Amino acid sequence: MTERIGLFADLHSNLEAFDSCMARAEELGVTRMVFLGDLVGYNADPVALLERIATLVENKKAIAVLGNHDEAVFKDSRNQMNASANAAIEWTKSQLNNDHIDFLKNLPLMVQEDQICFVHASAYNPAEWNYITDSMSAWRCVQSSGKNYTFVGHAHEQALFYQSAVGKLIRFAPHPGDEIPVLPHRQWVGVVGSLGQPRDGNPEACFAVFEPASESLTFHRTPYDHYTAAEKVRRAGLPEDLANRLITGK
Amino acid sequence: MPINTDIQAVDDIFQEGKVVDGFVLGKEVHRGGMASLFSATKEGIDVPILLKIPRVGRDQPVESLIGFETELTILRSLKSPYVPQYLGSGNMATRPYIAMERVEGRPLEDYIKEGKVFTIDEVVRIGADLAQAVQSLHSQDAIHLDVKPENILIDERGKLTLIDFGLSHHARYPDLLAEEMRKGIGSAPYISPEQVAGIRSDSRSDIFSIGVIMYELLTGELPFGNPQTMSGLRKRMWAEPFPPRAIRREIPRWLQEVVLRCLEPRAADRYQGAARLRQVLRDPEGVTLTERAERVEPPSFWENLKGMFKAAGYEPSPSPRPSMGNLDAPLMIAAIDTRQSDEALRERMQITAKNLLQAYPESRLICLSTIASTPTYEGNHESQTASGIVRGHLVQLMEWAKPLKLPPERISYHVLEALDPASRIVEFAKDNDASLILIGASHKLPNKVTPWRTSMTKIVEEAPCSVHIVRT
Repeated sequence: MTERIGLFADLHSNLEAFDSCMARAEELGVTRMVFLGDLVGYNADPVALLERIATLVENKKAIAVLGNHDEAVFKDSRNQMNASANAAIEWTKSQLNNDHIDFLKNLPLMVQEDQICFVHASAYNPAEWNYITDSMSAWRCVQSSGKNYTFVGHAHEQALFYQSAVGKLIRFAPHPGDEIPVLPHRQWVGVVGSLGQPRDGNPEACFAVFEPASESLTFHRTPYDHYTAAEKVRRAGLPEDLANRLITGK
Repeated sequence: MPINTDIQAVDDIFQEGKVVDGFVLGKEVHRGGMASLFSATKEGIDVPILLKIPRVGRDQPVESLIGFETELTILRSLKSPYVPQYLGSGNMATRPYIAMERVEGRPLEDYIKEGKVFTIDEVVRIGADLAQAVQSLHSQDAIHLDVKPENILIDERGKLTLIDFGLSHHARYPDLLAEEMRKGIGSAPYISPEQVAGIRSDSRSDIFSIGVIMYELLTGELPFGNPQTMSGLRKRMWAEPFPPRAIRREIPRWLQEVVLRCLEPRAADRYQGAARLRQVLRDPEGVTLTERAERVEPPSFWENLKGMFKAAGYEPSPSPRPSMGNLDAPLMIAAIDTRQSDEALRERMQITAKNLLQAYPESRLICLSTIASTPTYEGNHESQTASGIVRGHLVQLMEWAKPLKLPPERISYHVLEALDPASRIVEFAKDNDASLILIGASHKLPNKVTPWRTSMTKIVEEAPCSVHIVRT
């Protein structure tokens, strides 16, 4: 069976989006899953989501890396986040037991494979949570990873950075569902987009699928019941604005 | 790290008689600077096959590799009767090739070199067929960017095929040639002014190239010559070509109008879609003649000078998405007052919007609301910040539109900051080329005249399009 790697980032305790994307990934024939960090934060289902992911990791069906919101659960990082994010982290802490927190604590910052690097923010000083938003930050990232393919999250919008003829990395805004050839003689950085809190004005959940054999990468958007997810945020007493983000996708 | 081009020499792999991925190689039919072409056969494929092998390796230019990758990406995605069918490809690192249908026909270039004189009717037909071929690419979000006689095959029955997508652009794939060091890649006589300026995303560039080809077939000359320097290439940003009718008197005025319009320096002054170009070539009655049709004299010194000054500040027109050039889907704006809550009016507006949207299946709806202004103070609570307030209004717009059940590509939401809502709505309608503004007028008016009411009058007076007022 050809390997198809499902790439999911910034899941942020959004169970409705998670289930919807897992179902879609199965339809697409995904053989292995990579969770690119920020499993928790912002939304209302940290426990259910962590338990699902922990089971997948235990059964060797998935790997996961650490994100800044995951770290904030066991390390004080209040100064680095806005008020709503901090409020959600405080609430998340109140929901998790020690096993959940240990699972987060044991997540690696980065996973390097033969040709691929998986990391939450950037391979360049991964613990500093640098955003990959432009040519320069993408270049630093591939310089540090040294791999042909680096897959990240953190920046919530889907993007593909590719190396041009002069070595510079150029940003490309992918169109969901299009299979993009990503040939290994150049270096690529895929920002897979946020599953649990999309911010580009489209509420649909983001993820991507990489197929090493055919050297192709496809970005996906999946609709899910974002009204229910938003309602859960309200009922949990989390800031109203976080519910609105799910409804508007902004 | 520059791109790795250390791919082993391909000459040993691709030789007559050898088999690669089931393709049995036949004769080498062509060897160019960038690629070699072999005929081939494969079991299960009953069309003649051509294998294109890039000239890659240590001693080869990097352009041939990028061109190959670009062609592979784009050819694979295209479905068009005017493009060779893609049949397969080999691993780029070990045995790079593209297998495609071997199309019958000779390049238009051969006919030109032989000195063939084209009749007016022949040129019109080739122009119209080219426009149709190019339209089939544009409708798939691809732009050829290297339309020239060498890349146009014509078979015995006159059917035309576009080949060589090594310089093409596809809006849905990364442009590997973007930000290339050299500007104006392509063939000097045929590339558009915006390509000279380094822009690779304007579908109207192909329309310019069709204009050059028609000009060449009609007059035997190139409208802007075959310049070898950057300043020579820039001439097309301002120069008026010598009128074709001054070279060949029998060219009808309407055809000169069409050709010169394709050759306009600013893309916005040309035909905006290839389908439109085909239409005017097929139906000359529809051509509006302007002074372009009347030109018989070469442009004067003064006119050229004026043009040169204009070109000093050459601003390429913004590029529309290729497939949008031919869409006349109406855009409607629903101006929704998120501050008031009149349930009856709300429902009436929703019904009206729904009916209008059903009447025009291609239409799109923008839900619009205006707010006075957002605080510059960034509060500690998200709901007090500018983005938080805007999001609050967006949620209301989305709630408003929910019963319409429109797919996301047909609807969008905007919250505009404005002290004078009416002017802002009118301006927005202008900017977006809207066809209709939908507004609601409540009968539950308070005693004094509300600002919204005066706003309504203003919108009706100043709107660039129809205004539909919904009453309860």
